[in-house]
Amino acid sequence: MSAQSDTIVDIQGLNKWFGALHVLKDVDLTVACGSRVVVCGPSGSGKSTLIRCINGLESYQQGALRLAGTTLGLNARETASARRQTGMVFQSFNLFPHLTVLSNCTLALRRVAGRSRGEAQDIAMAHLEKVRIPEKAMSYPGQLSGGQQQRVAIARALCLNPRIMLFDEPTSALDPEMIKEVLDVMVALARDGMTMVCVTHEMGFAREVADQVVFMDGGCILDRAPARDFFGSAGHPRSRLFLDTILKH
Amino acid sequence: MGFDLAFALSSVPTILGAVGTTLCVALVSCIGAAAIGFFFEMVRRAGGIAGLTVGFVIDFIRSTPVLAWLYFLYFVLPFYGIRLGSMTVGVMGLSLYYSGYLAEVFKAGIDAIPKGQSEAARALSLSRRDAVIHVIAPQMLRNIAAPLGNYFVSILKATPYLAVLAVPEMLGRAFDIASETYRYTEPLVVAGLIFLALALVISHGVKRLERRLLAVGAR
Ligand SMILES: Nc1ncnc2c1ncn2[C@@H]1O[C@H](COP(=O)(O)OP(=O)(O)OP(=O)(O)O)[C@@H](O)[C@H]1O
Ligand SMILES: [Mg+2]
Repeated sequence: MSAQSDTIVDIQGLNKWFGALHVLKDVDLTVACGSRVVVCGPSGSGKSTLIRCINGLESYQQGALRLAGTTLGLNARETASARRQTGMVFQSFNLFPHLTVLSNCTLALRRVAGRSRGEAQDIAMAHLEKVRIPEKAMSYPGQLSGGQQQRVAIARALCLNPRIMLFDEPTSALDPEMIKEVLDVMVALARDGMTMVCVTHEMGFAREVADQVVFMDGGCILDRAPARDFFGSAGHPRSRLFLDTILKH
Repeated sequence: MGFDLAFALSSVPTILGAVGTTLCVALVSCIGAAAIGFFFEMVRRAGGIAGLTVGFVIDFIRSTPVLAWLYFLYFVLPFYGIRLGSMTVGVMGLSLYYSGYLAEVFKAGIDAIPKGQSEAARALSLSRRDAVIHVIAPQMLRNIAAPLGNYFVSILKATPYLAVLAVPEMLGRAFDIASETYRYTEPLVVAGLIFLALALVISHGVKRLERRLLAVGAR
């Protein structure tokens, strides 16, 4: 039963229903520490649901999901402490609009990690430097562009020093000219060796950083392959078709 | 029987003497109603049997007259050995009664916050309590400053109900003068004007507060 220590996420036979709707069907997925997994697939295929299961935002009904050695959903306290190993970035940024950029980043450091104000600010500023937006520390999210907000959201998620970062379509809500600044930050993060699971249709990004590309449709993982093979000629016909459609855009 | 200005002015000090009581009752009731209302809404939101029960209590409170609550607390509780002063009963009655309405206001204010906010709080491992204090409540306050202010004015205007418990508030005092002198117009007009002035001050304060809340991190 014990997961190998170099596996951070281990999903076996995962099934999830929303009421009568079967949204995840026998999903198996392992994520090795330091690896980058890109998840793609058509709308409604269950990508968000899968990634939200990984940090326990969604529960599941069958199968097992081990995060950092903890099976999620058995025990609320253990689930919560496993979640602390994760950072999540949402499509719609979800920054706290009433707090400054800096306070967005220090909130969890103060309340969850128990850091002092000074320590929290130092850590937060270091991450804001990393996403290249330290000069906006005292601004409010509403004063930033979408790309800037998403970079702040990445910095905020990094502050608790997660072992794995989860991204749910981080660039889908952005104007085209802002996508690159966010992807650049994500590529840099990948270069630093961060473990990442990323739902995205940015195939250029996938090609550049992904170790593994997973294709979902109708709640199933239909295809999984090393990035090289996925973009090569091999693969499931459905994922080929999907790739052809999105690469044309 | 015209309006006797001199008599009206002579009644002002007596009526003003009760302003303290009125404001005090109103203020404590506002705080009480907000605290109980917020607690109610939190329990209702958490769901389960407790949530359903509280939901029913909120609806029940909102469909009963405030006087019924005052009479109930004042005349029925002593039968069960609970003897409270009329001022305490008055504050309790107004707090309880308006908590039902404020729970609804809080609900609307929380419903208006995008779902992503509490999800982000969870993803950051904030405890439920911290999420409420640091993420939900501040945004809720911004959403509801105006209706909250209106209810505070309503509570102020409901203080005369406490006359039935012989709490010496403003309108009761005005009425005392009236029944002693058989002149009703002047004391009642004076009391009305003082209520108007207080309500205007509160509304103005709430508007300023709202503007400041909205200015912070304008979306
Ligand atoms: N909270 C929910 N309650 C009920 N049904 C839901 C809920 N969340 C998602 N679903 C349904 O589950 C299915 C999978 O949704 P999910 O959001 O995981 O898809 P997705 O692959 O992320 O799609 P998209 O590309 O549009 O984001 C969809 O049919 C969706 O309507
Ligand atoms: Mg999605």
